[in-house]
This record gives sequence, structure tokens and C-alpha cells, in this order.
Amino acid sequence: MTYVIAEPCIDIKDGGCIDVCPMDCIHGTDADRMLYIDPEDCIDCGACVPACPAEAIFAEGELPVRWQRFTQINSDYFIGKR
Amino acid sequence: MLTSKQASPRTYRIVGPRRQIDERETPHPRVDRGELGEKLRQWRTSRMDVDPFRRVFGGGGSEKNSYNSLYDIYRNLPEGKVNQKKIPVTDPEKMARNIKEVARFFGADVVGITYLDQAYVYSHRARGNPEAGEKAGDPINLPHRFAICLGFESDYEKFLTNNSRISDAEYGLGNINSLQPTFLLAAYIREMGYPARTHGYGRFEVNPIPFAVNAGLGELGRHGMLIHEEYGSRLHLSVVTTDLPMAVDQPVDIGVEDVCKYCMKCARTCPSHSIPFGGKEIHNGIEKYRINVDSCYKYRLAARGEWSNCVICVSSCCYNKPVAWWHTLAVQAIKWTPIPLRPLLIKPLLWIDDLFWGKRPWKHMKWLDYDNAPRPVGTCTIPGCTVKHANLQHKKLHAA
Repeated sequence: MTYVIAEPCIDIKDGGCIDVCPMDCIHGTDADRMLYIDPEDCIDCGACVPACPAEAIFAEGELPVRWQRFTQINSDYFIGKR
Repeated sequence: MLTSKQASPRTYRIVGPRRQIDERETPHPRVDRGELGEKLRQWRTSRMDVDPFRRVFGGGGSEKNSYNSLYDIYRNLPEGKVNQKKIPVTDPEKMARNIKEVARFFGADVVGITYLDQAYVYSHRARGNPEAGEKAGDPINLPHRFAICLGFESDYEKFLTNNSRISDAEYGLGNINSLQPTFLLAAYIREMGYPARTHGYGRFEVNPIPFAVNAGLGELGRHGMLIHEEYGSRLHLSVVTTDLPMAVDQPVDIGVEDVCKYCMKCARTCPSHSIPFGGKEIHNGIEKYRINVDSCYKYRLAARGEWSNCVICVSSCCYNKPVAWWHTLAVQAIKWTPIPLRPLLIKPLLWIDDLFWGKRPWKHMKWLDYDNAPRPVGTCTIPGCTVKHANLQHKKLHAA
């Protein structure tokens, strides 16, 4: 289980989640259109969920069906980067 | 009203049938099996970290080099034989006083006696002691009548350096310190002709916290740990189970039930948000505050090898104060106040607590070569990441 950032983050990138994440597992570059949660580092505490003004963060199991693909998008972002 | 003794503990309530917990369901064995992720499993098998000073306190993965940690030596000791010549016990009250005095002499800071409730005995063991002919997965049969709970205090100042090598060393030393008195007490009871078994660091067949609450050592806090009126939560617990006839103690009321309702300091300071702000939950037939064990455990990975045991909730608890007259006075005042009037006293006390000790109690300390001062965070390991990561140890407190 992990938390996943979904579509509402795109082009918003508020970054409030980064301040509250105890694991510093939310990453992104200036070139990215959204932020991503590293599923290997996430400890499922849920601190980022109330911090997100766009309500873009969900637990993997509670992700709306239309955004299911974002689980893969989040984890794919870190392939070859660690 | 002037006694704090209670017929049953106020901080938890039995509301339904309880089942025995299998020790293999507890966090350490789950991590060893890799159920909480590969990273944590690696962390356990790498003997926690690379610091030699940390390794003497034992812990995961130390089987490779067992004899450098007292913890590994004690957990593999066989239990001695029971003396055939049984000493008759005519006065259980006197025997309870004797046992408590002996336990304090051996080195325990607090002692209490209660009945052994089988619901808090594990059903199967997660790791056997080969010397005693046990193996993992064996059912546990513990037919004893009594549980003697021992508590060992840790240093207040060193815990305030949370989380650092210093608080880590103090935590590890507390675990090691609890081994010898527990072993001596069980050996003493066996020499008196009664069966006794030690349950201490590295080898538990029971969950010590409910026994400590029932034995009147303290009460159950919001953070799921025992709160003692003088030492707060910085007590290491161990248990000796036995059949030696003794008078049992009663649970106490030191106001934890009322303070935890309003304080929430542990929930506010918990970096992994594992402690609930809300009310009690029913789990396994018991109504109590329920913490998120998984995220609490996984938070160790945030250490990045700097420490291995988080003690932030222990040091932020408002009962965690140095032993001093003003702390005793505050706790006694709460104890003497009738329950409906307690919030009137607790709210100003909590305000004073935040004022003098801060919303996130922490202290700068230099000790040996260790310094727990906040350090600027290094570069992010993800190439190209431009996110401004803060120092993990000093993330600002999230709004409640």
C-alpha cells in the first residue's frame, strides 16, 4: 500500500505535501507537470492528504476508478532514478 | 476519594471476547518476513546500522555476531530448574512485600503484581530459544497464576535529544539494564521452589503493558504505552510469571484517562502521524486508543541510518518530567480532584506544560562524539529533483 498523487496535481504543484511528509518521499523537478510519491519510501501515514489544496492525494485502495492509472504513473517515475 | 486504587483500569475497557495474539503477528516478526517492505527487512538484517556503539545494544540481524550483545546472550539462556524443596508461603501479603523489595534491590525502579490474564499471553512464539528446545511456531503454554511487572527508568535528559544516537543509546541501555534484574528475580523464585519464567527484552511470551496497567504501575496512554505518575512513559517493562502465592495490586487512577482526552501532545508531535487525535476504538474486544503500528514502525526508515528507535512520543508526553516536587504536586493535584472537575485543572496545567517545555520537547546535547543539532538536509538522491526537502528531524508540526 502507498499513497498516490492523481490528476488534480497536474499544473498545480502546490507543494504543501512536501513540507508535511515525514519521509521526504514526494519528488518532482521543475520540468515535471506534477509531483510524485515514491511508493518504496511512503509509510502510509496519510499526512499529505489534508495538506493538499487540490485534493489530489489518495490511498492506493481509495483511488477513484478514473485515476487508477496514476498508481503506475507514480511508481514508473522512479524507475532508473533511485 | 484520597486513594487512587481502582477496581478496574479506567484507561481501557473489555467490551467483548478477546483472542490471544500470535507473536508472529507482532511487528518485528512481520518485518523479518518482509511484510512491511523489502527496505525495512534489509534494515533489520543489516544489524540496524553501521555504528559499533549502537551494535552492542543488540537488535535485528545480530545473529551473525551474537556474543557482542548481552541481549543475544540472555535471550538464548536456558531457564534454571525449580528447587525441589518448596518454601511454604503462609502470608501472601508478606511474600508480595518481600518480592517487591527484592526486585527493587536487584535494580527495578517500579514493581507491581497482578494475576496472569491468559488473553495477553501470546498463542504461538515467533522465535524459539534453541537452548530450551523451542522453535518458531510452537504454541505457548504458560499456566502460571501471577505476573510480576518490573519497570526500569530511562534518563530524562538523554531522551529529550530525540531522535539521535544519544536517545538511541539510552533506549538500548534501558533494554539491557532490564535483563539482569528480571533474570535474578525469576531465579530467586525458582530457588524458593516455585516455577517462574522471565519475559524480557528479546524474549516475551506476554504483552507486558496490560499487566503493568493491571498491576497499578500506571495507566494506558493515548500513544499505547504505559504512563507512570513519576516517570511518564520512559519505563522499560519486563515480566516474571510465576505460581508463587502473592497478594496482587490494584490498578491505579493517576488521571491519564482525563489528561489524554485533552492533551494530544503525542498525537501532535508524532512525525509519522501514527497516534490518533480521535476517540477510542474497539480492537480485539478492548476499547482503547489505537495507534497505527505500521506507519510507526516504518518511520524508522526516515532515520537514514542516524538512529534506530524513535522516542518522540515518550519525551513529549506531559507526564514525562524529571523527578521533582512540582511534577509530583501537579500529578497529586489531578489525582485528588474529583473526576468531573479534573478538566478545570488539566487545561491550565497543559497550557503551562506547553509554555515551559515547548510544543515539541527537544534538547540540544553533545555527548561522546555525538551532536544532535539540526543539520541541513543533503542533496536529494533522486536526480533532477528540485523539491525543497526540509530536515527530517525538524519538520514543522502539522496543524491538529
